[in-house]
Amino acid sequence: MRGVLHIAAVGLCSLVLWPAVAAAQTATPVRVFACEPEWAALAHELLPDAQVFSATTVLQDPHHIEARPALIAQLRQADLAVCTGGGLEAGWLPALQQRAGNARVQDGAKGMFYAASHVSLINPQAATLNPFAGDVHPDGNPHLHADPERLAMVARALSAHVQRHWPASAAAVSARQAAFEVRWSSHIAQLRQRAHGLKGQAVAAQHSSFAYLWDWLGMQQVMDLEPRPGLPPTPSHLNGLLQRWPASPPLAVVVASHQDPRSGRWLTDRAQPARPLVVLPATVTQPSAPRALEQWFDHLVDNLIRQLPRPTP
Amino acid sequence: MRTPIANSTNGRSPALACRQILPAVLTACLLWSAGSAAAQTVAPQPRPMPTSGWQFGAVIDTAYMGKGVPLGLRDEGLGLGHSDLLARGTLGRHLAGEAILVGATHEGKLERQVEKFLVETRTLPAGLQARAGRFASQVGYLNEQHPHADDFVERPAMYRAFLGHHYFDDGVRLNWTAPTPFYLQLGIEAFSGRKLSPDGMRRSRNGVTTFTSKFGSDLGANQAWQAGAALLINRRASAAEHDDHDEEHGHGDDHEGHGHGAAFAGRRLAMLDLAWKWAPNGNPRQQQVRVVLEHARLSGLPDAALMGRRHEGSSLSVVWRFRPDFEAGVRADRLRAGFAHDDDVDPARLNEQAMMLVYKPSHRQSLRLQWTTNRDAQGFKYAARRLVSLQYVVAFGAHGAHNF
Repeated sequence: MRGVLHIAAVGLCSLVLWPAVAAAQTATPVRVFACEPEWAALAHELLPDAQVFSATTVLQDPHHIEARPALIAQLRQADLAVCTGGGLEAGWLPALQQRAGNARVQDGAKGMFYAASHVSLINPQAATLNPFAGDVHPDGNPHLHADPERLAMVARALSAHVQRHWPASAAAVSARQAAFEVRWSSHIAQLRQRAHGLKGQAVAAQHSSFAYLWDWLGMQQVMDLEPRPGLPPTPSHLNGLLQRWPASPPLAVVVASHQDPRSGRWLTDRAQPARPLVVLPATVTQPSAPRALEQWFDHLVDNLIRQLPRPTP
Repeated sequence: MRTPIANSTNGRSPALACRQILPAVLTACLLWSAGSAAAQTVAPQPRPMPTSGWQFGAVIDTAYMGKGVPLGLRDEGLGLGHSDLLARGTLGRHLAGEAILVGATHEGKLERQVEKFLVETRTLPAGLQARAGRFASQVGYLNEQHPHADDFVERPAMYRAFLGHHYFDDGVRLNWTAPTPFYLQLGIEAFSGRKLSPDGMRRSRNGVTTFTSKFGSDLGANQAWQAGAALLINRRASAAEHDDHDEEHGHGDDHEGHGHGAAFAGRRLAMLDLAWKWAPNGNPRQQQVRVVLEHARLSGLPDAALMGRRHEGSSLSVVWRFRPDFEAGVRADRLRAGFAHDDDVDPARLNEQAMMLVYKPSHRQSLRLQWTTNRDAQGFKYAARRLVSLQYVVAFGAHGAHNF
């Protein structure tokens, strides 16, 4: 026993002095760990040969994920982790990084990429110690992927990051990025045209999951089903919304598919004039599907357009 | 009556090795992080990492206990439970540090204690990770979890009896996470042992060593599990323990204040744990069921009178989050042990059941109502048959990520 301990202690000392470069180097990121499905879809676009794992699905709330053993095992083997940052994964990613013991994906290492470090975030808030304030994100709203322009900026930054740190793959990644950017800008130009009727429309929603989308479409979120950011809807808050329901009501009540639709349904069942409840996916449904990101935005915009009053002929 | 193992004081013991190696490790770590700070500037980041930097936070845990629980940490009446001040962050590219100062009331007095003060490596190769300082051992499922995140007001009886509620100590740890498709982590820890057997062999150079393994994975989209096996070897558990178990017996449900210290100590503590969680679509926000089963068995008891008497405990808890802000749970605890009295043994047994309902308006606050019953307790003078407790926990500032 004592011998084992001595070996362990001596081993500990020598390992602590081990140069960090000992982490295995690959010519291109082979295994990619995406915290959210949108980044998995983006990784599929830029690194088609990589094994991409998405830690979460469209049916999960990315704020409230547990540091499950299966996720630790995936992060342990990742060469590159692509996450949102901005505090979105604060409740689970640090625990995964700590337990995985993978030097490649620690904060500051070349294999850890945070999207929020490369775009500006809307609605930054002063950090607060108030435990009653809800989930305050001092850096701003982290659901930035719902803005097609910011998504393109993240794609550019991710491509540059991979090119810088995996020079052997630079040419291929750069070509993939260029092709994606051309395709993406023409797609969002087309989307914007299709969605022009949504401009100026008001919408009610649960949480700020789609805040960037509303901004991009020129819509305004006039109601939040959550009493405070990140806190579940309460009967008294919903009742208040019902009392204040305006005579010219919002286009729809939007909840994300990972949220419980009952609060939204309660409101739309009672509100007069009536407005529909629309359940939208807050991210891509199948990250490995071709053109997953385009399909997701098409789905969002088409579902919202469907709520517009039909033009009288 | 010293046992043969305790006699081998020649040669360097783990605790001594710890004491000698710790400063060396810390110095090496500091040198390394200083060196790496220079290296860090070579690869500039577009913006500071949003998740880096130091985080600070505080947790206040108050509870009203109708009665004390046998071997529990909380006083009868209103008291401050395991409340803490926390700081954590990175020290250069290669290291992370964490410190937790804990305060709790005991018999009307506020007791403070440093419960965590550690440096940890972040960039060792091959899935290895080392830490040094003061920290909670990773034996069992619950020991390393923050007590303020517990589902019940007090730790299970087996933790209270064999690990002094939760076991933390000064020491070193080396972990290895395997590159496997499922989670596999093997770990070894060497502790001074003074927090587990504070009274035993004060001048002893012997310490505590633990060997742990954890496995786990998902089962489809809705279920996740983790299993663990651990062995804790306590070389401080010796006949010296004899002096204080009488006191333990006399006080029944009393304990050594916040010095923790196990009520029952033996050479070997073997632990098995299994955690299983279910959430529709793996989205625990709306609904979740958590089941935790733990078992511990103490052997190598120092007192001859205790030979052949089983010392074991188990705990089964089931908690259901039925709404984002409400959870209900039940726990059944069983403990079998014995207090040695000269050549005689008084059995110590607990059959404890707890039911609780907790309201969590946000992840920063919880208000818990718990009903605990203790049927046919033996050996604990003040084991209340029934007790009600009300607990309120509130967190300020950085909260930190919790483990599975």
